[in-house]
Parts: sequence; C-alpha cells; structure tokens
Amino acid sequence: MSCPHTPEIIADHCDADVPAEVLQRHRVHLDTCWDCRQELLSLRGVPGELLRWQSIPLPDWDRSGMVKSTSRRKTLASRSYQWPTIGQWLPLVASLLLAVAVMTQTRLTIGPQGWSVSFGVQSAVLSAQQLDEYLTAHANTSQTETREWVEAALQTHGQTTADSIYQWMTYIEQQRALDVQRMDAGFEQLMNRDFQTVDSVRQLASYVLYQEAP
Amino acid sequence: MDQSDNQLIAAALAGSLPAWDALVRRHEMRVYNLGLRLLNNPDDALDLVQDVFLGVYRNLYRFRGESQFSTWLFRIVHNKAVDLIRRRQAGPEIEDWFEEGTPEPANNLPGPLDSYLETEMNQRISQFMSRLPPAQRLIVELKVFQALTFEEIAPLQDIPVNTAKTRFYTALKNLKAMIEAQT
Ligand SMILES: [Zn+2]
Repeated sequence: MSCPHTPEIIADHCDADVPAEVLQRHRVHLDTCWDCRQELLSLRGVPGELLRWQSIPLPDWDRSGMVKSTSRRKTLASRSYQWPTIGQWLPLVASLLLAVAVMTQTRLTIGPQGWSVSFGVQSAVLSAQQLDEYLTAHANTSQTETREWVEAALQTHGQTTADSIYQWMTYIEQQRALDVQRMDAGFEQLMNRDFQTVDSVRQLASYVLYQEAP
Repeated sequence: MDQSDNQLIAAALAGSLPAWDALVRRHEMRVYNLGLRLLNNPDDALDLVQDVFLGVYRNLYRFRGESQFSTWLFRIVHNKAVDLIRRRQAGPEIEDWFEEGTPEPANNLPGPLDSYLETEMNQRISQFMSRLPPAQRLIVELKVFQALTFEEIAPLQDIPVNTAKTRFYTALKNLKAMIEAQT
C-alpha cells in the first residue's frame, strides 16, 4: 500500500451506511490515485467470494437444558419458596460496609493480637468478632424485611398464584443486584479519594470475600 | 402470527419454555454458522451456540429492549467467540493475538484429496478464514457476514474506527492472496 487513503476507501466501499459526501470525497480521490483504484479493483470481489457460504442448519440439541439446569423455579408439586441464604445477601452487605468504611476513614491494623478496624482518629475499634456479628445481623434484617414484605403482599392478594410469587421474588432479587451495582459504582468513585483508606478497604474487602466463600 | 423478539423475551422471563425455545430457534442458525466460519469445526460451533444461549438465558432479565435483541445478542456472541478462539488457540501466539500480520500457514498437511474437499464451498471459505489471524477473522465475520458498520465493530474489538478499517483491509488482502493461490 503506497497511499494512506487505501484502507478507508476499501473499507467504506464495503459499508452500506457510509454518508454520500464521504463516498463523493473517495470518488474524487480515486480519479487521481492509481494505487487506490488498483486496490479497489483487486479486492472488491473478495466479500462476494465469502458470501457464497451456504447456511447450515444445526444438529439437534437440547435448547431447554439450560433452563432446567439454571432455573430455581419449582415444579407445581414442590413450589414452596426457599428463603435466600445468607450468602445471597452478603454482596450487598459487603458493599454497604465498604461504603461506610470509606466515608468514616476506616483503617485496618494487623498486630500480634490479631487485626482490628479503626474509624477516623482512633476513636473506635471494631474487632473481628464484632464485624462477624454485624454482618450476620445485617443479613438477618434484610431477610426479615423481605419475608415480611412478601407475607404482607400475600395477605393482600389472597388468590395469589405461585407464579406471581416467583415473579416477585425474581423482581426483588433483581433489585438487590441493581443495588449492589449502584453501590459498586459509588464505591469506585469514593475509592479515588484517599489511597490509604483504599488500601484498608481492599484488605477489608478480601476479608469479607473470604467470609463469603463456602 | 409470529411473535416479536420482545414478546418472546417477556414470555420467557415469565417462565414460558415454548417462548424460550422459539427465541433460540430464531437466532441459533446465525450463531452456529458464525461458529463454523470462525472455529472451523462443527463441535466447537455447537459449543459456541450452547455457551451463547446459556449466557443469553442468564442475562435475559438485563435486556431492556432499548436496542434490538439481535444487537444485544451479538455482543454476547462476539465475547463468547473470542473466548473460544483463545481457548482453542493454545500456544505462545496467544500474546500477539491482535497483532496485524500475514496469514498463518494452514494447519493441515496437504494431501491428494484436498482439491476434492475444497470443491465444497463452505469448507473452502472456513479454511481461508481459519488461516487469518483471529482478530482479522473476527472483523471479516462482523463486516461481511453480519453486515455491522465499522462504528459498531470498533467498540466490540476495543479499537478506533480507523484501526478497524485498516485491519479489515489487511484481512481482504490476505484473503485475496489465498483465493488466487487456489485458482
Ligand atoms: Zn489513494
């Protein structure tokens, strides 16, 4: 290629959405550029060669297999909803905790007596056991709130079907996932404020993830 | 009357298996043929189809209907195809995956029956494609077979539009050389 315009001209020649004024500019260039004309003549047939491909139908495969294996939906005989486990709420709790940690200038200290978390100017210290208790309490509160909410809804709609319960629960789960995403985004912004805090928070995050692992 | 993709998605999200089945059947052939061209192996192409629709199923609730379903699907297809090509292409060249360059030599030993196989049009085309470096192979697939614009392709490959055009041009030159060598 000896002309710098060749790639764009060849590419635009194969693009149905190129604006008319760009094509006009290319035409003017082609009038005076032998290299581009030659390349266009040489390569214009290549896409057509490829498009001689004959579409082949798929062999038979199990399209609903993923639905059966992924779905938490119960059969009619066994449609009692199982309450989410603590592990399902932990990401949200972790995000909340990390956000609080950043806001309150949390520091993590590791010493001979184990580790501790301090807030601001060493005014308060949180031990590993307290953190555990906090996480458990928070997860329990979340579960209780959701359970109460669903039960209230059930009483209001006496004729509720198992289908709609499933839809509510899916909705709630999606909302939780969205909350976590929002918290993550906010957390990313906060992270940029203070490197030392970030470092503490990262260690805290590793701790929480470690706790979350089965 | 045929239901729209959005209607099928809504029904599938509400738990309808027939709706999910219809949605998959509508799009699976396009994904499978893309897999055949990019991976040059029917088993790998079927793996790709399964990977893609598992990803679609898991993320269906995220689809907001703001873009066409096929556009949204294609983002998943592209990422899964890149994953599969990377996994199939073990070895040191994985580092310079997106390097521009000359075509790779064919993996297969030449033999007296090659000319017979190559009369099969698809076989010939997927052989050509498989000799392109993966990044060029993908861009030819996206441009020629999927008819995406370079503005759509560039973000998928995380490159500027001009780089996408240059990569496509290089790929066409390589393909042209292969076509000429065969005729
Ligand atoms: Zn030129």
